[in-house]
Amino acid sequence: MHSKSRYIWAYMMIAPTLIGTLVFWSWPAVYSIYLSFLKSENFGLVNHWVGWANYERLFMDEEFWQNLRNTILYVVLFVPTTIILSTFFAVLLNAKIKGQAVYRVIYFLPQVTMAAAAAMVWVIIFAQDYGLLNSVLGTHIAWISDKRFAMYALVMVGVWGAIGFNMLLILAGLQGIPRTLYEAAEIDGAVGFRKFRSITLPLLTPTLFFTSIVLVIGATQIFDSIYLIIGKTNVALPAVRSLVYAYYQNSFIYYDQNYGAAIVNILLVINLVLTGIQFMLQKKWVIYD
Amino acid sequence: MNIRKKMAAGIASLLLVTLMAGCNSSNDGGGATDSGAQKSVTISYTIWDKNQQPAMEAIADAFTEQHPNIKVKVDAIPWGEYWTKMSAAAPAGMLPDVFWMHGGQFMKYAEGQFLEPITDKVQANEIDLNNYASNLVSIYTIDGQNYGIPKDFDTIGLAYNKELFDQANIPYPDDTWDYAKLAEVAKQLSQPDKGIYGFGAKLDTQAGYWNDMLANGGFILNDDMTKSGYDELASIEALKARYQMILDKASPTHQQMTDTDSVEMFKSGKLAMIFDGSWDNGNLASSEIIKGKYDWAPLPKGKVKRGNIINGIGNVMSTKGKHKDEAWQFLKFLGSKEAAEITAEMGAAIPAFNNTQDAWVKNNPDLNLQVFIDQAADATPYPSGSKSYPVWFSKEAEIMSQAWGGAISIEEGAKKVAEMMNQAIEDAK
Repeated sequence: MHSKSRYIWAYMMIAPTLIGTLVFWSWPAVYSIYLSFLKSENFGLVNHWVGWANYERLFMDEEFWQNLRNTILYVVLFVPTTIILSTFFAVLLNAKIKGQAVYRVIYFLPQVTMAAAAAMVWVIIFAQDYGLLNSVLGTHIAWISDKRFAMYALVMVGVWGAIGFNMLLILAGLQGIPRTLYEAAEIDGAVGFRKFRSITLPLLTPTLFFTSIVLVIGATQIFDSIYLIIGKTNVALPAVRSLVYAYYQNSFIYYDQNYGAAIVNILLVINLVLTGIQFMLQKKWVIYD
Repeated sequence: MNIRKKMAAGIASLLLVTLMAGCNSSNDGGGATDSGAQKSVTISYTIWDKNQQPAMEAIADAFTEQHPNIKVKVDAIPWGEYWTKMSAAAPAGMLPDVFWMHGGQFMKYAEGQFLEPITDKVQANEIDLNNYASNLVSIYTIDGQNYGIPKDFDTIGLAYNKELFDQANIPYPDDTWDYAKLAEVAKQLSQPDKGIYGFGAKLDTQAGYWNDMLANGGFILNDDMTKSGYDELASIEALKARYQMILDKASPTHQQMTDTDSVEMFKSGKLAMIFDGSWDNGNLASSEIIKGKYDWAPLPKGKVKRGNIINGIGNVMSTKGKHKDEAWQFLKFLGSKEAAEITAEMGAAIPAFNNTQDAWVKNNPDLNLQVFIDQAADATPYPSGSKSYPVWFSKEAEIMSQAWGGAISIEEGAKKVAEMMNQAIEDAK
């Protein structure tokens, strides 16, 4: 009796988060699986069961495969770049340098900047005629509307936005490495990069594993920068359109929620598989002491 | 332990009270009022054009003056999100009491029975639909049922920058112009090295190539709305002619117009001419750079005729509103001459109410706004009115942007659009 009332009390404490998660995450996720087997009419008030038809249409759709390739390319470009740069800056900021706090704030700033406002600034930076990037490089490239460059522009924006938070995580990981190990290594004669490679990197792998999982899941869901920076009448859109953008387009522009639901369910499966693979591979490179 | 329990009970009851208060306030004034009980209610009126919000609020105020117990809350949701929000609100029964309707979206909402028919009110002579041009009334009529009251209409004009014409010593555009003249002058006015172009050959339908296609003898949809006209030779020819202006450097490229919207270019004095809708005059006038330096001319003549798209917004009311009687009173007032006059005098839009358009023209005596009224007579109705419209219209822009950006040829793009439209029409059957 006593313990039961304690459980109730505990559930009440987590209720706000739990209810929010169930209502705004779990229910829509389950419902979108259901939706993908329907053909809805009249704003979803009339539904017909169509079985796998939406998925069949998806696999026959050349655009879907292109979107999938785009998403994978983004992940492949974005995740390693972000991890390498975040680690690099975290190591630099972990050293005793003047104005350390100031630098940490500067690198963290993108994290607290409003995404839409930042995107507008990036659009101006990337502009072909008067953009900052072109005038610095002395080029005349249509960064966001040339299909050869648009993906790199998006990766640039993505990395810029992601470094701050990941650097912070890695910094925390760095500070968890006992100093005594470095002192021992110094006695053994290790200097500079050798210390980084033999002590820092191995002991950082649990943190890097965590960041890579979160980054991969986040990167597969790229949407906002495509929506805000590329835009729907951009000639380069087919070259960068991600699965989530295609989901948005089908569900909310073409009013085909069923086809849209099929797209995100495929993405869900992809993410489950990718995360599973990462967990399997971790035995090969992640070191837990 | 005891104290904790008390606290928990305290917090829980506090939550409960707040929740109940929340329920209460949303129920506030529920139920229609009898003629005797003048309960005070607030109804919602949702629009998509922020430029027109002051005028709509002025109309709401004038209405409240006559009906002191009814307050109207005017909300503007940008066009880009308007239909997304409405399509979520409709099945949830949360549509605003009264809101703006577009001809393209109307059918979906009317057939889904989200809009309150007003036919019986018309038959009871509560409102006279003869006060508006009949082709505007028919936009919001299905199967003999009336759902909407025309609010305004819009046509397309040729906006030009007088300063750039003066500098080049070229006479201003007038009603003798044809498309060849437009292309020729656009070339003369362009100075690509200075970032100045003669014409904004933008990727746009209503205020863009639809007018070109019609002028050249093409069409967008055939009369019974069963077939796309994008793959007609005359249509393709018109599209090619517009695109040619980009190749001739008489217009910025599609890339440039993606970076900066062509209307914004015109507003900053970088474009000598653009097509734009009558609804956008307030937007152009808001630019300090071109204020007093621009004017309007009719669209150029094409091989067959002067093309122009006419469209009209309608005011409609929700079937699920809590205050339908009050909403009807407001809807009726929105269709009144008084509301039309406020719309005109504040320069918001060309009112649909017969013989109130002059006030809109006179509101800006320095501008030749008469061109919009004059062109209305021969204009072609906006090709909405079909169930497939929302589908093909959104896909059209995506395909044409590939052609406009040079990834595929204009002809290929037009044929793809036609194929997609015909498929959408087929699917909607």
